[in-house]
Amino acid sequence: MDIAEVLKHTSPELFLPNLTATDKQGALAEMVEGLIAGTQISKPETIMQMLTSREALGSTAVGPGIGFPHGRTLAVQRLTIMIARSAEGVDFDSEDGNKTHLFFMLIAPPQDSGHQYIKSLAALIDRIQDGDLRDSLMAAENYESFCNAMKED
Amino acid sequence: MHPQLQLLVALQDLDEMINETANQGTELEGLGFKHGGLEELKKSREDLATKIEPGHLSWYKRLTGKFGHAVVPVVSNLCTGCFANIPSSFVSKTNENKVQKCESCGRLLYWP
Repeated sequence: MDIAEVLKHTSPELFLPNLTATDKQGALAEMVEGLIAGTQISKPETIMQMLTSREALGSTAVGPGIGFPHGRTLAVQRLTIMIARSAEGVDFDSEDGNKTHLFFMLIAPPQDSGHQYIKSLAALIDRIQDGDLRDSLMAAENYESFCNAMKED
Repeated sequence: MHPQLQLLVALQDLDEMINETANQGTELEGLGFKHGGLEELKKSREDLATKIEPGHLSWYKRLTGKFGHAVVPVVSNLCTGCFANIPSSFVSKTNENKVQKCESCGRLLYWP
């Protein structure tokens, strides 16, 4: 899947450039709060419950300093991607033990025909392997710069 | 939202996660995600199920077996399971007092 296609599922309202939480539950809650504020989605407790259960399965901080909290829930009607960033870093139980600085949170409905969200996850993970890109994303001044960096070859 | 419906929604989300791990775990693990806590998740699912009234749980199981999903959202006054119209009079008495079922297909209705 093309990264521009993936970014159609997010928006400037779903970009949190400065997360303040430094622990996993706090960061998830802050992202869910941002999701509710930036969309017409309600039922934050349902989304939090799903994300917390997913993290119990195994941490979603799988990239170098990157986390991909994700899952399906009835609380959303379409795939929605929240982007968040923390300069200080979040203790997200990453495999390498390092702090997580960049998050792509993917929330999909149960009826996600074609497995859009898994394809989107795969595209994001593939794109984010570039260390220079990760530096650019952390330095991006705004949502537009962030997305432009993501789309650059 | 009715507390029992909230539990049913959480149960369906958990079932979705367990099924996805079983069916697409390899694909997800290929992306780097680990699923070491699957057994604990199943245990959480069983614990959650004990909090749901037997009648609702039995109906949930029956619908899941028949349709795949027991709880469906109502969008634009339509049951998104069978696309039957949910009358506005029905909508107005929703949410707080009882777990609502679609009069056409019987699926449990959820207003997002």
